Amino acid sequence: MQKHSQKEHLYKLLVIGDLGVGKTSIIKRYVHQNFSPHYRATIGVDFALKVLNWDAETVVRLQLWDIAGQERFGNMTRVYYREAMGAFIVFDVTRPATFEAVTKWKEDLDSKLVLPNGKPVPAVLLANKCDQGIDVLMNNGIKMDQFCKENGFVGWFETSAKENININEASRCLVKHIIASESDPVQSVEPDIVKPHMNSSKIVSCSSCFKS
Amino acid sequence: PAALPPAPLGFTDVNLNSRNTYEVSRRRSAPEHLPHGGTAPAEPAPPPQEPAERARHRVGIAGAGSSFAEFFTRNFFTKRTKELKPAVQSAPGWKLFGKVPPRENLPKDSKIIQQEYEARTGRMYKPPPPSARRKNIEFEPLSTTALILEDRPANLPAKSVEEALRHRQEYDEMVAEAKKREIKEAHKRKKIMRERFKQEENIASAMVIWVNEILPNWEGMRATRRVRELWWQGLPPSVRGKVWSLAVGNELNITPELYEIFLSRAKERWKSFSETSSENDTEDAGASVADREASLELIKLDISRTFPSLYIFQKGGPYHDLLHSVLGAYTCYRPDVGYVQGMSFIAAVLILNLEEADAFIAFANLLNKPCQLAFFRVDHSMMLKYFAAFEVFFEENLPKLFLHFKSYSLTPDIYLIDWIFTLYSKSLPLDLACRVWDVFCRDGEEFLFRTGLGILRLYEDILLQMDFIHIAQFLTKLPEDITSEKLFSCIAAIQMQNSNKKWAQVFASLMKDNKEGDKNHSPAPKS
Repeated sequence: MQKHSQKEHLYKLLVIGDLGVGKTSIIKRYVHQNFSPHYRATIGVDFALKVLNWDAETVVRLQLWDIAGQERFGNMTRVYYREAMGAFIVFDVTRPATFEAVTKWKEDLDSKLVLPNGKPVPAVLLANKCDQGIDVLMNNGIKMDQFCKENGFVGWFETSAKENININEASRCLVKHIIASESDPVQSVEPDIVKPHMNSSKIVSCSSCFKS
Repeated sequence: PAALPPAPLGFTDVNLNSRNTYEVSRRRSAPEHLPHGGTAPAEPAPPPQEPAERARHRVGIAGAGSSFAEFFTRNFFTKRTKELKPAVQSAPGWKLFGKVPPRENLPKDSKIIQQEYEARTGRMYKPPPPSARRKNIEFEPLSTTALILEDRPANLPAKSVEEALRHRQEYDEMVAEAKKREIKEAHKRKKIMRERFKQEENIASAMVIWVNEILPNWEGMRATRRVRELWWQGLPPSVRGKVWSLAVGNELNITPELYEIFLSRAKERWKSFSETSSENDTEDAGASVADREASLELIKLDISRTFPSLYIFQKGGPYHDLLHSVLGAYTCYRPDVGYVQGMSFIAAVLILNLEEADAFIAFANLLNKPCQLAFFRVDHSMMLKYFAAFEVFFEENLPKLFLHFKSYSLTPDIYLIDWIFTLYSKSLPLDLACRVWDVFCRDGEEFLFRTGLGILRLYEDILLQMDFIHIAQFLTKLPEDITSEKLFSCIAAIQMQNSNKKWAQVFASLMKDNKEGDKNHSPAPKS
């Protein structure tokens, strides 16, 4: 423990996506290393904290905001977006409608939140419940890469909260991009911008996390 | 057998109540007797070959750790007592699942006989508050008789005289200490028992008053001081549903026939929904149809996530279809509101206390109250008014904590949304939530916010030590051992007066401010 030289980062991360796609399950798996098929519906927002020993000098504390998925809550949940540094957008591979909603969630996110430097917050797309044996995506890797580029995701992962697949990897990808975006020159000093009518997403052209 | 045999005590770890999502992994002791994980959702009842004696203990004991079991036994005890013939000595609570355990042959001790007598005569078995019982369980009977002072083995040098004396003395002290503890614990147990019987008697006598005096003269008596005080103590489970119905009222004039009409409409919709979705999965056939279908799908998704640990609303569970029906009928009745998350919890609590049509009538009328309508329509500007009024009383009652929250910009929308949307049924143990509902039915929306302040007051000292994320985590997942005595004494200590203005006045003046100079537009409710 080289406590003397350790830097600590605190990042607020949003976990958003349609109702029942497994947001809470992903967080429980990530933070508590367990899974239950019996989570209760999230109303409003739930919270979790994950501490990562990023490298020898860096400790990263992640504040995870698990936001209720019903579209109706859109207006209400915008306040939860404030000051977030990154986001996971989750869909359920067994329900195509939840994938169709991904662009809506991304637009919603980008319209309500930008980084101090004016760029959209880094977002990683999670294709959850990949343990269910539905191969809608397996053959569409290239398409998904394309989709992420077009919609400004910094990466995507097939995940399973149940089988603990790819969740740590997805998180590392997101944190890496947050750290990178933090070292970007800051243009705006405004700490928290909520622009209600800005939905053309600026694409972060970084594909280092894309699967090949 | 003793009233509380040590073997099944581990069941206290089994938290059947709505709040715990990890209980499955915690079912360590006697797992073979429990439905696991959801493999047998419809069977929380003990296997038929299990002696009723043990089943009874499980009901009682599980109740100690779980408010639900308590709620459950109390409820069904009282509901079923009428049907029970005095000769039937099975555990009546389990009749819900249609499984009557075989009669036990074991000799009964007096307490059990008394409990059974009480069950038959309409008195309720009420376990002591969880905290008290929990302590009891941590106490392991010291086997003083098994502690034997022995000399050294023959192959070792014998103890010296002083040493032997000292050991004898230490041994005597240990035994004396253990005996003292045992006696103390026995006294404690006795006291708990006495308290429990007193509580049972209170509930029983309250029930008589409710049934014989208050309910027949409802309109004349509901606002009297005596009734209001009795009301605050908590409604006896046997009259709870009835009183809720009366207090919520039926401004909307919904009849059971009307419910049937909306239910059959909902059923038709489900049918056409499942037919069209099998034909075509991805193509949307008109926005409004898609919306309605989405609403139906949401209900389906949420029902399985409503009190999941009870295993009664899940697919295959005894109340699954009922919950589905009530929510589905509501979306047909109020398409302008539709299904909103949180509703499933409210409907579930009503279903646990009322017959189907009455549950629907209470549900629709409850959701038609101004506060509930504002929240379920997600009328953001109205919600902010409610939060602002809440903060007025927050600052008044708990100024230190208020400043602490302010310093972290921790706003009520972080924790109040879950509490208000579900009327505390998700965040508090179910029996405690029902008590909150009792007084909410008496006092109206104001009590919801007062309860919130009571929770903050109860945990003020802990919360003052926490930072943002820990407060947020704490308040969105309250401790499971919260007791009604403590919470209600904290709620009672909350003054709903702000410089002589009451809740309604504070709220009204905030609404006036809104009209005068707020740019916030109220989002039109989506239909």
